[in-house]
Amino acid sequence: MSENDKSASVDSDPGLEWAKLWQTMAESSNRMVEAWSGSMAPFMLARLSEKPGGFGDGNELSAAIERMAQGPRLADFWDIDRKMALAFGAWIEMRQRLASYNAVAAAPWPEASKRFYETMSATASGGSPHPEWREAFAKWSEISNEELIRNQRTDGFLQAQKELLQAGLKLRSRQDDVAEAASAMLGLPTRKDFDDVTRQLTELRREVRTLARQIRDQKSEGAR
Amino acid sequence: MSDQEDQTLRVARDMAANAEKMFKAAQLIANTRDEDVAIGTTPKHLVMRRDKVELFHYEPMAEATAKTPVLLAYGLIGRYTMADLQPDRSLVRSLLSKGLDLWLIDWGQPGRTERWLKIDDYVDDYIEAAVDRIAQETGHDKITLLGICEGGVFTTCYAALHPEKVKNLVITITPIDFHADVKDKAAHHGFLNLWTRSLDPDDIDKLVDTYGVLPGEFMSSVFSMMTPMRSLTKYNVDLIDVVDDEAKFMNFLRMEKWLADRPHHPGEAAKQWLKDLYQENRLVDGSFELSGCRVDLKSITAPVLNVFALDDHIIPPDCSRALGAKIGSTDYTEIPLPGGHVGLFVSSKSQGKLSQSIADWLVARDANPGSEA
Repeated sequence: MSENDKSASVDSDPGLEWAKLWQTMAESSNRMVEAWSGSMAPFMLARLSEKPGGFGDGNELSAAIERMAQGPRLADFWDIDRKMALAFGAWIEMRQRLASYNAVAAAPWPEASKRFYETMSATASGGSPHPEWREAFAKWSEISNEELIRNQRTDGFLQAQKELLQAGLKLRSRQDDVAEAASAMLGLPTRKDFDDVTRQLTELRREVRTLARQIRDQKSEGAR
Repeated sequence: MSDQEDQTLRVARDMAANAEKMFKAAQLIANTRDEDVAIGTTPKHLVMRRDKVELFHYEPMAEATAKTPVLLAYGLIGRYTMADLQPDRSLVRSLLSKGLDLWLIDWGQPGRTERWLKIDDYVDDYIEAAVDRIAQETGHDKITLLGICEGGVFTTCYAALHPEKVKNLVITITPIDFHADVKDKAAHHGFLNLWTRSLDPDDIDKLVDTYGVLPGEFMSSVFSMMTPMRSLTKYNVDLIDVVDDEAKFMNFLRMEKWLADRPHHPGEAAKQWLKDLYQENRLVDGSFELSGCRVDLKSITAPVLNVFALDDHIIPPDCSRALGAKIGSTDYTEIPLPGGHVGLFVSSKSQGKLSQSIADWLVARDANPGSEA
């Protein structure tokens, strides 16, 4: 058999062709991961260093990551990276919501300080002696409590808190997605599997107990 | 010495004294072991276990004054130990000393395994099984239910769905009309109602679906928010106040132990609690359903005692009061007591009043044989 014949034979072997294709795909996958690490990671870190306050001016970066990660889903690779990118985007959004919430939650302190100062000044100008620290603290505590509670009942506070909760849940959910993907790769049961099992267990238990009650009731009726 | 100098000296002296007390508090905490802080110590024995739920029977402490057994049911937000915090601040011990036959249903520590449990399971399975077991053990066809907070809602639902098994219903600090907080003018009352209504139903679903439960830590943070300054001063100024009195210091630690022992709320039951009840107020409008049956409060025909705290910031009094107009029973008593949600059970001021009110009311009804089946 000539060399040309051998080459033709190899090229026509489906097994070898599949192996070559697989190798090409694996290399392509690695290049994509490297490209992502090499391009997106420095980009994200650079943006973080530009705006260390958690992207408080807006949420462009998390929106950009969201758009990037919500692209077409490929069957056999890239998925874990997509999940990690989504988790990272959710983390940035959560930081931004936390900053907004902190700003709203801190709002009553200046008013509390002003009221306390006015109260103490009125005491002093009335000729009363300076109160003991405990008395002064009790007044400070009372005023602050009133202002903090008043703030908590505002639409602004409730909205900021709701958005923080939503962002926190989104982050947790996306972290769970990463953990689920990692568990699946390692052949471990996931939390979803656990929930499925406990759901079946709970439903089965309900059925058994309903049947047991029916049997008991039938027996007691029969005994009458 | 000028006034200014005098003031400066006084501030310096106070600061030094407080620093010394904080140091002492730190030493006391470091030298106290967890087992030194005992709560829920009133003697009882296990009668039945069903999944993680346990039925206990308390050892009698006095001659019986009311024969009908009383089943104590706490809620799923917190543990029953609030009713038995320490010997001199214990509703449980106090009721036993007044001659009641007391049983306890302890929900245990629900976790993700209990994610799918609904209020239906708690009312129609766990409470039902406990009632049947008590009836079997004591020979009574009907028993008295004593519900606390969310446990009061469970026992109210049970009394509506199974009136033939309930001799008396006693509820304490129990919400019935979850929207009645709007009538309460006190700004520090009802934040939990307002906060829950501010959420989208989808937020609650996501919270439970993500964690599998309503996390205990999460509810703790919501409760802390309701008393903001108290939460900020608990581990500093409050400690200074109790550090020189060992009894007060131990009370403080026992309360902390109870607060720290906040279990997770089973997931599906939490969705019902927050959406069906807090958001949609279904219990009071008669559309709340358990195990396929509508919970009709008019079906409650047993005598009812409703005890609530006048300064309850978690369950505003009007939320509890609503029961009177909704039930079918003609024997309805309300006892408003001074104090707050937890203070009603653990404060030194309220000790005796709550248990005496309950015991007197129950003994009077136990003497009436007309309602025993």
